[in-house]
Amino acid sequence: MPTTHHRAALIDGKSIAADLRLDVAKESAALTKLGWAPLLVSVSVGDQAASDLYVRNQKKHAESAGVAFEARSYPEETSLEQLIGILQGLNHDPRINGIIIQRPLPDHIPVKALQKAVHPLKDVEGMHPASIGNIVYNDLALGPCTAVAAVEILKTLPMDMAGLNVTVIGHSEIVGKPIAFLMMGLGATVTVCHHMTRSVAMHSRAADAVFVAVGKAGLVTGDMIKPGAAVIDIGINRVDGKTVGDVDFDSVAEVAGWLTPVPGGVGPVTVATLMKNAVMATRMQMEHYRDAYDKTDV
Amino acid sequence: MSATIIDGKAFAAEVRAKVATHVAKLAEQGIKPGLAVVIVGDDPASQVYVRSKGKQTVEAGMESFEHKLPADTAEADLLALVDRLNKDPAVNGILVQLPLPEHLNEDLVINAIDPAKDVDGFHISNVGLLATGQKAMVPCTPLGCLMLLRDHFGSLSGKTAVVVGRSNIVGKPMAQLLLRDSCTVTIAHSRTKDIEDVVRGADIVIAAVGRAEMVTGEWLKPGAVVIDVGINRLPPVEEGAKGRLVGDVDFASASAVAGAITPVPGGVGPMTIACLLANTLTATCRANGLDEPEGLTA
Repeated sequence: MPTTHHRAALIDGKSIAADLRLDVAKESAALTKLGWAPLLVSVSVGDQAASDLYVRNQKKHAESAGVAFEARSYPEETSLEQLIGILQGLNHDPRINGIIIQRPLPDHIPVKALQKAVHPLKDVEGMHPASIGNIVYNDLALGPCTAVAAVEILKTLPMDMAGLNVTVIGHSEIVGKPIAFLMMGLGATVTVCHHMTRSVAMHSRAADAVFVAVGKAGLVTGDMIKPGAAVIDIGINRVDGKTVGDVDFDSVAEVAGWLTPVPGGVGPVTVATLMKNAVMATRMQMEHYRDAYDKTDV
Repeated sequence: MSATIIDGKAFAAEVRAKVATHVAKLAEQGIKPGLAVVIVGDDPASQVYVRSKGKQTVEAGMESFEHKLPADTAEADLLALVDRLNKDPAVNGILVQLPLPEHLNEDLVINAIDPAKDVDGFHISNVGLLATGQKAMVPCTPLGCLMLLRDHFGSLSGKTAVVVGRSNIVGKPMAQLLLRDSCTVTIAHSRTKDIEDVVRGADIVIAAVGRAEMVTGEWLKPGAVVIDVGINRLPPVEEGAKGRLVGDVDFASASAVAGAITPVPGGVGPMTIACLLANTLTATCRANGLDEPEGLTA
């Protein structure tokens, strides 16, 4: 019987996510006792076919983590002004603790305008400029879920983050760049590569940990990895009806010390991070209301 | 010595002249940009900066508002002033001179400034806007460095850059700006292992650590372009004399290896105030719905 030899230890994202969900469920129960049962509201606009599976998955995970989840959808022709009005309504409702804006959105709705309209305390996706700004300033409140999940995964490995050489491939605003700042905050020396980088391999081969978030199947091969390094694969690509990451799994698994599989790596931890953000946001809102009351001289 | 000296003083004068030309054009439409500088206490270094800022603001044809508050100013009074300046249509830019006396919360005060008037670019929203590639107010010192680099290279695309130092004021925004211009960026800092080797890989080196003459010629790749943000005063050679001002780069050894280098003083320093004026102009144009002047922001 042929056996495949993989040197790399596979990182079990599902089990990391399960642990995280347990913590979230505990916190959610504590908040519920205090009268603040966490509630997430998902906002979809227009054709739901593309995001439907995703929304159902979020709902399933929310409920298993003790977070209530309400999916709202609005017709394709809803205007930007109407949507901002809707978000303001959600912002002002103390029973709603987190707002998720599902993509894709219709062409006439700029996603950044909606993300900016979500109150930073309810920004469970971590997409508001103030949330990103806090990440840059190393004040980790609500961070973008995928980036936070990828970093949390690395933190489960027996590696000292301070002084670790890290290469991030891909400099997107919601994944690559926040990962760079989160890792820098942990004391790593971070190099960010992208499509204009002359030799990605030169940088990735120097790294103790490599994050890949480009969206190109097979981009990172074993010869680009330092033996024993950790490789966190954030890509999600469809190839011949199969879901694969940005990493050429077989060749990288021969060289790397740790590797996240796709699926089953970063993905489940990302959804669990969204739930963690939901309970964190709920607690921050509760404290915000209570602080405001404490400071009112009545 | 082989390196070209990058004359920040001359380039800053060009930036100021450009700003003045735009300001004169705005005057034809009845618009006069106004910069309010708030200083609390009597730190002598801050006083010198503020005087210099005020003088250059007026020379560029803009209105300068100086607010000198006593060292024991109450937080509420300072916040009330910021609020008034936020609402004052004659004020397009607000700068609160740092550091503030210890009893005042810098984060609170900076984040009380209207982000659109935050010409220092330190408000958390501006940090996040810059990180997500949106229109932001860009911190003056890194903006000045970027202008010098763009002037030297034309395009920075594909260049390898190492930023030494991860401060919120220089290192982090500098990395963002270089990524935006498609450099491959590494941020090195106190925890970085073999920092010399990291720096030696770079086409562009930005030194912003605040340690006198730390980066020497041996750390540099021949032909590298070196931007020295540090300003350090060496201990005096003889008693009663003033110590020499030096950067974070050992100029003598570095200029023998580098392709181009900024001196200290006369390099990055003069660019900072020039960029403050540029930011005030940019903020004024945005506030009035006018096109932004070209080449004066990121």
